[in-house]
Amino acid sequence: MRLVIALSVAAALAVFLLYTSFAGGATPSLKPSQLAGHRGKLSVSGYVLGPVRGDPHAAGGLRFKLRDIDGPHQSVRVPVVFHGSEPDLFRAGRHVYVVGTYNGASLAATSITTKCPSKYAPAKS
Amino acid sequence: MQDLGRAALVLAFGLVVYAAVGGGLGAYTRRRRLVASARNALFTSFGATAVASIVLLNAFRTRDFSFAYVAEHSSKALPFPYVYTAFWGGQEGSLLLWLLVLTAVGSAAIAFNRRLTTEVLPWTVPVLGAVASFFALLLVFVASPFATQVAPADGAGLNPSLQNPYMMIHPPLLYLGYVGLTIPFAFAAGALLSGRFDERWIVATRRWTILAWTALGIGILLGAKWAYEEVGWGGYYAWDPVENAALMPWLAATAYLHSVMVQEKKNMLRVWNATLVTGAFCLSIFGTFLTRSGLINSIHSFAQSPIGAWFLGFIALAATFSTVLIIWRLPLLRARTKLESLASREAAFLYNNLLLVAFTLTVLWGVAFPLLSDAVRGEAVTVGPPYYDFFLKVFGLPLLLLMGIGPLVAWRRTSLRALGETVLGPALAALGVGVILIALGAGSSTAGLLAYTFSAFALAAIVLEFARGTRARKALGASSWWSAFSGLVARNRRRYGGYVVHAAVVLLAIGVAGSSAYGATKIQRFRPGDSMKIRGYTLTYLNSVERHSANHDELRARIAVTENGKSVGTIMAGKNRYFAEDQTSNEVAIKHDWLRAQDLFVIGDEFKIRKHAVTAVYLKVLVKPLVNLIWLAGFVFLLGSVITLWPDAREQRRLAARTEPGPVAVTP
Repeated sequence: MRLVIALSVAAALAVFLLYTSFAGGATPSLKPSQLAGHRGKLSVSGYVLGPVRGDPHAAGGLRFKLRDIDGPHQSVRVPVVFHGSEPDLFRAGRHVYVVGTYNGASLAATSITTKCPSKYAPAKS
Repeated sequence: MQDLGRAALVLAFGLVVYAAVGGGLGAYTRRRRLVASARNALFTSFGATAVASIVLLNAFRTRDFSFAYVAEHSSKALPFPYVYTAFWGGQEGSLLLWLLVLTAVGSAAIAFNRRLTTEVLPWTVPVLGAVASFFALLLVFVASPFATQVAPADGAGLNPSLQNPYMMIHPPLLYLGYVGLTIPFAFAAGALLSGRFDERWIVATRRWTILAWTALGIGILLGAKWAYEEVGWGGYYAWDPVENAALMPWLAATAYLHSVMVQEKKNMLRVWNATLVTGAFCLSIFGTFLTRSGLINSIHSFAQSPIGAWFLGFIALAATFSTVLIIWRLPLLRARTKLESLASREAAFLYNNLLLVAFTLTVLWGVAFPLLSDAVRGEAVTVGPPYYDFFLKVFGLPLLLLMGIGPLVAWRRTSLRALGETVLGPALAALGVGVILIALGAGSSTAGLLAYTFSAFALAAIVLEFARGTRARKALGASSWWSAFSGLVARNRRRYGGYVVHAAVVLLAIGVAGSSAYGATKIQRFRPGDSMKIRGYTLTYLNSVERHSANHDELRARIAVTENGKSVGTIMAGKNRYFAEDQTSNEVAIKHDWLRAQDLFVIGDEFKIRKHAVTAVYLKVLVKPLVNLIWLAGFVFLLGSVITLWPDAREQRRLAARTEPGPVAVTP
């Protein structure tokens, strides 16, 4: 009896998990150099390249570029346009985690999370 | 001084290794003196760890920057209390705190239970020693807090967002929770190793488990409050891996606290409990690992921290050890009683456990998903808040409902008719609340409406339980209603303390549902004199002011607030800039409305500055209904835990009568 309940719950759970993680809700998490060929909602972690221009609240948005934090493909640059609240620690040279929509040429970002380079600090956007 | 600290740690390492190896040998060969000396080694290791901690604290006090750790986490201008809390601002200090708490709590748990479990204890000491050995090993060889350097002129400072009163108490509470979960694990492993897996180890560790679980729960809530007030993005929980790290062991421990009651009462679920307590322990180590290894935000730093691999290795070792142990002792653990009905208290506990464990695994799946997908598909995929929010509803809402039904169901079996009769009152109350809420317009969110209705049901069930018990005691001859009530609670502390905790969970559910499902948000650009209307509030931006203080500059927007035409004062929202740390932090303005438990939450998002003068500001304004019930829930939770934990002389006597005439339950 117990086994039956446990198994049925486990099965239902497994279905749910597979459904949500592969059908929706999940976003690919990539490096800037891996963006080619991708479209739509995704997240990118990378290194912020200056100059940082514009205004995150204006129509033009805040504009900067991202490259890989490390590895052989650091020459790949991805332009980012961000609208929203700029996190406290954001600036050129920081490692950031950006969520947005990629159209094949640039990333329209809706959230930026900065990673403190030296020590543990949860920074939320 | 560094040498003294290092020497103390080496000594502590030697002592806990001896407690593990010598204690194990002593328990195996049944040599009493060896067992006693291993126990004393564990006690002494606390002293050695304390010496190391005092050395580090003193270095912080004197700002001795020749300690690399002190230089990295404090500065000359860092104000008084934070100089001490910088102790756990980094990895090495956190590990030291872990070891300190582990040796302290472990020694105390051993000392208090010396008579209660004479067979299990010799095996518990080496398990505790082995866990402590891991942390001591890291402190001595991998991440020493006593690394020396040529003292720089000033330190790097403490991260400004950690310069907050909540951050003084939040990390130690979490560590107390994580470490505390080692105690039931060590006793369970000790019971399995010794082959005496009756319910005595559960009784011995019950209070320790509740203590750890309470610390973890309050720690999580304080972290949420800190995030709400200090990080300032307008929420309190973001399903961040580090936050989930604390939530998972708490959920597992919650499941365990419920399922042990079934074992105590009916001697069932023994394999399950041994598995759960192991799971809770491994999750607490995993939690420390997530917090300390840099798996935060970006998955790419995963392998970069040298400490990460050690932790993964230790978790794998602990999980393997426990699994082998449980399989080895499986014949001992077989239940001799069976579930008699699906409508019984034990079945209700079982459903509760399935839901809690399913939710824990879901969160774990979400946290580990980037790593798994990276390993399987070569591309890391993260799951965001929508994933967690969805499963919070899927598992949380049934749990809320079950919390109302469970206490009303009798042990062994209940006829559906009897169940229907007891549930009728709370069900009608919930239905009434639901109808009123729909009339008030709460139907805009189905999940919110369900959460409110189920909360009403659970609350009514709790009130019914208290009322029934009090009436019964009054009928049995209590002199007054009050003495009937207080006698009821005093005689059944665990049960009624538990109900108080249930009430806290209901408050939490209402607060979370209200603030997330029925809130409002607006962002707007303000010049002096501009105003905004939101949910009956009118905000008018007056001007911006600057202030200088010892270690930071403050920039604030002054905003006049009126509510339904009446002035409720001026609030200040803005940013601080810290010099030594070269960082800015959001300093939000929060206007509490205690009567409605609602907050007006204003973020000074961006200041437009031209020629050193602020020309305009962007303000993000949120209205968070019922959010203060979440913090109230923390106090109620604490109250319920204290009631449950309060020493009970009657229970002690009962236990003594049951356990003292030597081994009672002879295992087959």
